[in-house]
Amino acid sequence: MKTMELHLTVNGKSLNWSIAPGELLLDLLRRQGYFGVKRGCEKGECGACAVLLDGKPINSCLMFAAQAEGREILTIEGVADGDKLDPLQEAFLDYGAVQCGFCTSGMVISAKALLLRRPDPSEEEVREALAGHLCRCTGYTKPVEAVLAAASKKKNRARRVKPVAEVAR
Amino acid sequence: MTASQIMFDKVEAFYRPANVRAALRLLQSGKGQARVVAGGTDVVVEGDESVRFLIDITHAGLSYIRRRGTACVIGATTTMAELEASDVIQALAGGLLSRAARSCGSVPIRNMATLGGNMANGSPAADMATPLLVLDAAVVMVDVRGRRKLPLAEYLAGARTSRYARSLLVEVVVPDPPDGKGCRWSFQKLGRTAVDISLVNVAAGLQLDSRGRVKWARIALGSVAPAPMRASGAEQRMTGRILDHSLLAEIGAEVAREVSPISDARASAEYRREICSVLTRRALEECSAPAGCSL
Repeated sequence: MKTMELHLTVNGKSLNWSIAPGELLLDLLRRQGYFGVKRGCEKGECGACAVLLDGKPINSCLMFAAQAEGREILTIEGVADGDKLDPLQEAFLDYGAVQCGFCTSGMVISAKALLLRRPDPSEEEVREALAGHLCRCTGYTKPVEAVLAAASKKKNRARRVKPVAEVAR
Repeated sequence: MTASQIMFDKVEAFYRPANVRAALRLLQSGKGQARVVAGGTDVVVEGDESVRFLIDITHAGLSYIRRRGTACVIGATTTMAELEASDVIQALAGGLLSRAARSCGSVPIRNMATLGGNMANGSPAADMATPLLVLDAAVVMVDVRGRRKLPLAEYLAGARTSRYARSLLVEVVVPDPPDGKGCRWSFQKLGRTAVDISLVNVAAGLQLDSRGRVKWARIALGSVAPAPMRASGAEQRMTGRILDHSLLAEIGAEVAREVSPISDARASAEYRREICSVLTRRALEECSAPAGCSL
């Protein structure tokens, strides 16, 4: 099989990979061990494979790997700062926004892009950003709450809902 | 190896031409086995296993939105997200095209999908087609013989044939609406969810004279015929008349006669026909509503 060289940045790391010309970005990333990029519908409908391309969310299942030449990619593996979780990840945990977890990395990635662009989004904007992410466990309310909470410096300000952990206390 | 990894394994080369001329040359030498790709949202899903060469035109200088004389020109690889955000597009026809672009799937899809791709895919449900049809848009096609501009409706009628196999759609030209002032526009879409393909979509444009009579009207419907279409019978019927409830009902019935929907997994033909009437009435009501809420 023919191969070609690809130069790109993934999670801040400059990389040179050998790829097949017809390979999809999703397949490449998983082949390279980025398993947080999930293989879901492979039709651009479920959002589980979302990554940030130069800061914007895209579905990696619909993009040819070769199109990532010279671009900067952020996967869920690069969202935390070492051992320190991103406020979004913290909020997903605090709000019980993770069920089976398959859709979670895509949701966090899209929410990350939203907050980079709109640090204080409305609930409608959060819902629009998450609309491309299907959760088969059917939990959409908590992810929306988690993103709003992460956006708000003081937790519980954006919504009057308390995290489960606090309610139990 | 999963299905998708095998899907494009016959691809021998991936090209990123830096201009249209180079892209055309590659298309020509691909002898029918080359496929043009931009956002990938249709090409990848279609998964044509015979493809041997991919030509990525997103570096060919076709991502732009500009005013040119009395028209707005949009490069083929402009994304839906760029159309949503563009001041030029928001200022055109009350932001009709921005609004339609925002309905084209999820945020990730809109960051990838391009206007040219939405037209070239030739889907009867293409969300950008109906607003462009009511704006009397044209497309610019380029092949080895040169450039030519043709009406969007003419292009869409043949987009799924082999007629344009050796051509590139490089630009969409949107002429300024007649008179500019007083024109009102609406885009209506019904899908199963916020990010779904259209079951039916309708775009309308309207201008009323000082006595409240219809000066001109344009109505386009998508997902209800082999290609997105103008409802010219309904448009003509409206001209010169007062847009009241009885005319709205009459036009609703007329568009239902003009369309030729099919039944598929998403909806029956009967349902689509009914929705054509409903969305057309809604679009015309929005167009004729008191000033201040044109979209």
